[in-house]
Amino acid sequence: MGKELLDKEGGARHFLLGNEAIVRGALEAGVDMVTCYPGTPSSEVPDTFFRLSPQGPYRFEYSVNEKVALEVGAGASLAGARTFVTMKHVGVNVAADPLLTLAYVGSPGGFVLLSADDPGSHSSQNEQDNRWYARLAGLPCIEPGTAQECKDFTRAAMELSLTFGQPVLLRTTTRVNHVRGPVTFAALPEKTPPAPFVKNPFRYVPLPASARAMRLALLDKLDALSAAADISPLNVVSGQGTIGFVASGICRAYLHDALFETGLAGTVKVLDLGFSHPLPKNLIADFAEGLDALVVLEEVDPIVEEEIRALFQRRGISTAVVGKGEILPRFGEYSPEIVEGAVRAACGLPAREKTLYAVPADLPRRPPNMCAGCPHRASYHAVRQVFGDEPVYSSDIGCYTLGIQPPLSCADFLFCMGSSVSAGSGFAAVSGRPVVAFIGDSTFFHSGITGLINAVAGGHELLLVILDNRTTGMTGHQPHPGVDHTIFGEFSSKVDLAGLVAACGVTPVRVNPFNHKATVAALTDLKEQSGVRVLIAEAPCPIHARKVKIARKTPPAQVAGDPAKCLACRDALACPAFTMVEGVFTINAESCSGCMYCVQLSPEIKARKKDG
Amino acid sequence: MQRHRIFLTGVGGQGTLTSTRLLALAAMDAGLDVVSGEIHGMAQRGGVVESTVLLGGFTSPKISPGEADILLGFEPLEALRALPMLMQGGFAAVSTDPIPPLSSALEREPYPPLETLCAPIREWAGKAVFIPCHALGVAAGNPQSANTVLLGAACAAGAFPFDMAAMEAAITKHLPPKIVDVNLAALRLGADALCG
Repeated sequence: MGKELLDKEGGARHFLLGNEAIVRGALEAGVDMVTCYPGTPSSEVPDTFFRLSPQGPYRFEYSVNEKVALEVGAGASLAGARTFVTMKHVGVNVAADPLLTLAYVGSPGGFVLLSADDPGSHSSQNEQDNRWYARLAGLPCIEPGTAQECKDFTRAAMELSLTFGQPVLLRTTTRVNHVRGPVTFAALPEKTPPAPFVKNPFRYVPLPASARAMRLALLDKLDALSAAADISPLNVVSGQGTIGFVASGICRAYLHDALFETGLAGTVKVLDLGFSHPLPKNLIADFAEGLDALVVLEEVDPIVEEEIRALFQRRGISTAVVGKGEILPRFGEYSPEIVEGAVRAACGLPAREKTLYAVPADLPRRPPNMCAGCPHRASYHAVRQVFGDEPVYSSDIGCYTLGIQPPLSCADFLFCMGSSVSAGSGFAAVSGRPVVAFIGDSTFFHSGITGLINAVAGGHELLLVILDNRTTGMTGHQPHPGVDHTIFGEFSSKVDLAGLVAACGVTPVRVNPFNHKATVAALTDLKEQSGVRVLIAEAPCPIHARKVKIARKTPPAQVAGDPAKCLACRDALACPAFTMVEGVFTINAESCSGCMYCVQLSPEIKARKKDG
Repeated sequence: MQRHRIFLTGVGGQGTLTSTRLLALAAMDAGLDVVSGEIHGMAQRGGVVESTVLLGGFTSPKISPGEADILLGFEPLEALRALPMLMQGGFAAVSTDPIPPLSSALEREPYPPLETLCAPIREWAGKAVFIPCHALGVAAGNPQSANTVLLGAACAAGAFPFDMAAMEAAITKHLPPKIVDVNLAALRLGADALCG
């Protein structure tokens, strides 16, 4: 979806990704300022804002990490800007410090935080439920369930924020971010100049004395927000009957389809909960009237369920509450099937029998792998050649985590963004074993640098390999402070990565990882040294290089000699361009990127001649 | 309105998501209710890519096992892996061009013979078509159009609640102009492969 998202007029209907619809919703809400750190499943939101930024009526930045994104956004909102901040669920942990005071200070210009959760851990290290943050920080929580709602609810979230002067959590999940559906546009508003900031330190500076007053004011606001949720058009009651369902997010879609499949639509009561925190207490108490049982449909943790149990206890409501302890799982995603099962169980229908094809257990697997021509494969290969299995490999978040796969086997533990350096330091300090830590360039800027400063100041023992591919690879090639190029050309405000490392007190060694001999020599030298050592292995990600048009045309590699003699190289590198054709080793010319690393490992492999 | 659940599967880099979007847009332009879903993330890294298109009034973008009416397999091994998604007696259109995973190239997990992959699909589906998409994509002018060959075959087999003209219109309207002709040719070759 291109520039249509910036169309001033309303009325048009477009087929949009949920994340694109969120962008349109923010534009319809008159967004002035967008900050983010990318992360699946949120990334298409900031990437779309970035792509449209030359024409868009807003200021956009990829911030250095989520904490910074949230703080820049908080300041912008104080200065009167309608502010939208986006990140994935674990990113909110990084931003939690400012977030937990933001609701005390308030956000007079408007502030919406998008938290894109990932039940089922499709592309994340955990499946934490960020609706807890709404409770922890005192934020209203809005949860869309369709592409149209991604747009409408984003706009409603900003309007709610403006009404109360408070930050709002827009909580999505992978299935909602990546749904596609028709979306009808409303018109974009005329921009109004931001309301000027009037100094009032005891309102905006949470000293202990003022923080106590702010906390009381926040509790009052949450009561007012609960009353607003009671009458919000985002919370919709439908149907009649003695069984009720309260559903939020994508569970609403599953419920809708399950009621159609079972023919029960209209014969049960449904509360579509789009504005889920603070709980619309009166609405739910009224909804429960006449119900024998109320089933709560929410993914991951039983948050709404337990709040409803507490509400019923407080108000003496005897309706049975059914949820995760009873018929629904507390892990992973729900599905149409799981929800239909819950509907059948609650309504006394027999479970539906299905015959499924059973897949043979021995089908070859197809796990994700680093691309052909990925510089990380070369770096890992060289590290293994020099260090073997002796060290412990402290890994980090990025494409390079895929180095966990044999034969590279270069990931022994991992916590979060930036943890390779600090967790590696701690491990080495206690175990006495050599530790090699791997971190990408974007992750180093995000939160690796603090670990490096700590390692130097704390006298730790560590070899840190910065896998510098000149972009943020895993999440879709977003720029970071150290890049040379963006999709708009050369990047002029570059922060020098090597200079930054040097300023931390370590003179980094720099190599091109595709130069096998030089990389092995550098690693051999570093292995003999002690203390904190840094190797910067620098070569652009081939996909990024193509995107920003800096890729050099190189011929692919081919087997020029005896294919049987290439098998050691095949087994050591496991490049996806390698293949066996009728039992004979070959290099797929369409897949090969021409990195020429394998050529340096095997005399049987040569660059393909132009006419060959 | 008749309801259809379509499950699509392929390998990262094949263009599975572009085909998914094209199919959904063809349906939307034909006046059908459409919702579609996809899982992004590490797809570029050669993993499995699965997506869905649901027609006729569904809200959910997700399909549960055994509930797809139609399975489109852009790669035969992935088609078999996704066969539990297809209801018994459903329709399957499958490319017969293997993309062996790395584990097969390393001779750790042998890639099964094509017939071993196709036979269970033929048996489970009520109707199944197997198309040499890569060769027909090359014949159309670009191997990248192989997925469109499969869409053409499935459409000509009457799998979708819209006709070839609707698919052709979607290609013309929604694909970049310079690849429209190749994809129209690929669509036609897919349809012809079915008749031949």
